[in-house]
Amino acid sequence: MKIAISYPPIINEYGQKAMVSQNRNVQYFREPTYLLPITHAQAATSLKLMGFDVYWDDGNAQLKSFQGWLDDLVSEKPDIVVFESTTPVMKFYWNTINLVKKFMPKCIVILTGYHSMRMPEESIKESQVDVILRSSNVDFDLRRLVPFINKNSNWRETFNGEGFLIRGSKEIKSTGNFRHVEKLDDSPLINRDLVNWKDYAYENGNFLQTPGTYATSVIRDCMFGKCTFCRYNGPDLTFSMMSVEKSLDEYENLINNYGVREIFDDSGVWYRGKEARLFAQGIIDRGLNKKGCYFGINTRFEYLDEETIKLMAEANFRFVLLGYEAADNETLMRLNKGYQLEHVENCLKWLTKYGLHPHLTIMVGYYWQTKEQLQRTVDEVRRIMFSGLARTLQVTLCTPLDFTPYHKECIEKGVLLTKDYDDHDMSKLIVKTPIEHSEYYAAVREMYSIAYHPKFILRQILFLFNFRKKDWQFLFTYSIRAIRRVRQHVFNLTRSENKQLTKKIPAKNS
Amino acid sequence: MNKFKVLKNEQITEETFMLRFDRPLLEIKSGQCFNLGLPEIGINREYSMYSSEKSKYLDFLIRAVEDGIISSQLQRLQIGEYVDIDGPYGEFCIQNPNNIKTKYLFIGTGTGIAPFHSFIKTYPKLDYKILHGVRYEKDQYHNDHYPKDRYSACISKPDFGSGIRVTDKLEKENFDSDNMKFYLCGNKNMIADCLDILHNKNVSGDQIITEVFF
Repeated sequence: MKIAISYPPIINEYGQKAMVSQNRNVQYFREPTYLLPITHAQAATSLKLMGFDVYWDDGNAQLKSFQGWLDDLVSEKPDIVVFESTTPVMKFYWNTINLVKKFMPKCIVILTGYHSMRMPEESIKESQVDVILRSSNVDFDLRRLVPFINKNSNWRETFNGEGFLIRGSKEIKSTGNFRHVEKLDDSPLINRDLVNWKDYAYENGNFLQTPGTYATSVIRDCMFGKCTFCRYNGPDLTFSMMSVEKSLDEYENLINNYGVREIFDDSGVWYRGKEARLFAQGIIDRGLNKKGCYFGINTRFEYLDEETIKLMAEANFRFVLLGYEAADNETLMRLNKGYQLEHVENCLKWLTKYGLHPHLTIMVGYYWQTKEQLQRTVDEVRRIMFSGLARTLQVTLCTPLDFTPYHKECIEKGVLLTKDYDDHDMSKLIVKTPIEHSEYYAAVREMYSIAYHPKFILRQILFLFNFRKKDWQFLFTYSIRAIRRVRQHVFNLTRSENKQLTKKIPAKNS
Repeated sequence: MNKFKVLKNEQITEETFMLRFDRPLLEIKSGQCFNLGLPEIGINREYSMYSSEKSKYLDFLIRAVEDGIISSQLQRLQIGEYVDIDGPYGEFCIQNPNNIKTKYLFIGTGTGIAPFHSFIKTYPKLDYKILHGVRYEKDQYHNDHYPKDRYSACISKPDFGSGIRVTDKLEKENFDSDNMKFYLCGNKNMIADCLDILHNKNVSGDQIITEVFF
């Protein structure tokens, strides 16, 4: 049996590709970042280990056109195709599923992803999809489902594994909600050759050095899991953690056998406390900090203390991504962020003191955000960047997605301005706000303009002089990539201000 | 800044203690958690509320973990000292406490009993049973707060005799899962094992609510 794990290329009329961006939402960029979908890569590895023929089919990272991708898929003749969906590309996926079914009527199409898992009936109705997964544990789910399909021709009627919506011959069958805390150690480390790791090794804004790669995430979902806007929030999600030793083994393999020069763990929030210290010490004990490889993580303010940060610096950690959603406590409280502004500075001081590279991810355009709150965020971000407490930043428009608590709240309060999923692509604000949308766009541009300010550039150069390692290649390669990305964000905003709606090129039916 | 003065620091065992603060004037639901940190330190950790949502106090049951920077400092707090508290957060709550037909099986390890303590103090009419997994007999924190027929300690290293784990007890437990809700709180491995057991007993995922400690 052959299983294709497929990511069709999605390109809009501006020639931009749909890419996973902040908070793992889809955004369109001309200069793409190719992110390895970790859980799906683990699913592919799991199935391969079980003896199935796996076709890793990322049309985006493999630089295919839509037609080229489709032709290749059809010629591979998979028995099962697995797609991953999210709100802004739902219509595209429904069309693509129907197209796949047209060319390969016997092929079983499985839809995964945060949107369809929360609205499974919708995708069954809108497309010819066969199975919807109601959990984010795609690897564990497929490990249960695929062997059953392989052995049972009447699987649609007889499969009872929990957490699926299945199109039967006569009716739609639900096997209930899925609430499981899988032991993450029971899912394999990613088979890098299977997923063509080099396709993802260069074009990624999170890498200071290349080739880089994403580690098999040490945390599934989020250990906090309560931020209202984030997709790692909801009763259907929980949290599980990989053992430190297993993760260290993977890092050792990636550095020694694949020559990787940067490893980023894209877990929503990486280890903290004891596990963080054990991991950093393990890197040092294995001598992996002497191999010229940088390590990067996502974390939260108030999760890492100075002692841990110092140890991480010694272990050669560099890029640290922090969600700094707003600079006012009311917004942080409404978002359930769980930290206090007063402590942001402490954390950033520790990170920069030990030579780490804090990258801030900022959002604007909450439906309650006033002019004062917005200005406070702009002022605070400017102060942080000019004072050298953070190295880089990313600003996005807060877009309610995938039936997160924030999305539901927007619907309940009647502030959502559109029902068209295409409009959820983060290119424009889609909620009613107390001030004009143009003011939020201007704020985003103002924050990005910091990157071009002489004071900031001087800060960056001074930072390099003080670095424990003279990272001059960073100044050229990373800065060029960062500036390119800034231009993309500004392009998207300009497009929004001109009130041009983004229209994706639909999957053609012939 | 939400600074709260410590009103009480009750040492329950060598490692476990209960901190008490004034209850903030917020809407709080039993089962929710708060972030606790020490002023000027800039680090916090999540702890479930131990007290009733109707109490005038906010209590937390905390175990000082080995190498735990926050928990060990919280343990040393004196009355009158301050703690930063943010919250409440989470949805590990009783959905319809007035539905008298629903029976509850609360399964927790160690201080994972905290939200269940809060439940039963808030909703005294709940029809429940607690399976509390602890290592030693001394770890049955405040077991006199529960009627004897509703609290069952699973002591893995008892003073005398052979131990039993909460998963062993759950395996042996007979119940009619119709109209039952299962709340699991504590160590991630215990929760994963309990979920396997419950699934094998044909309990639907819709009936299971989890809160993982880490």
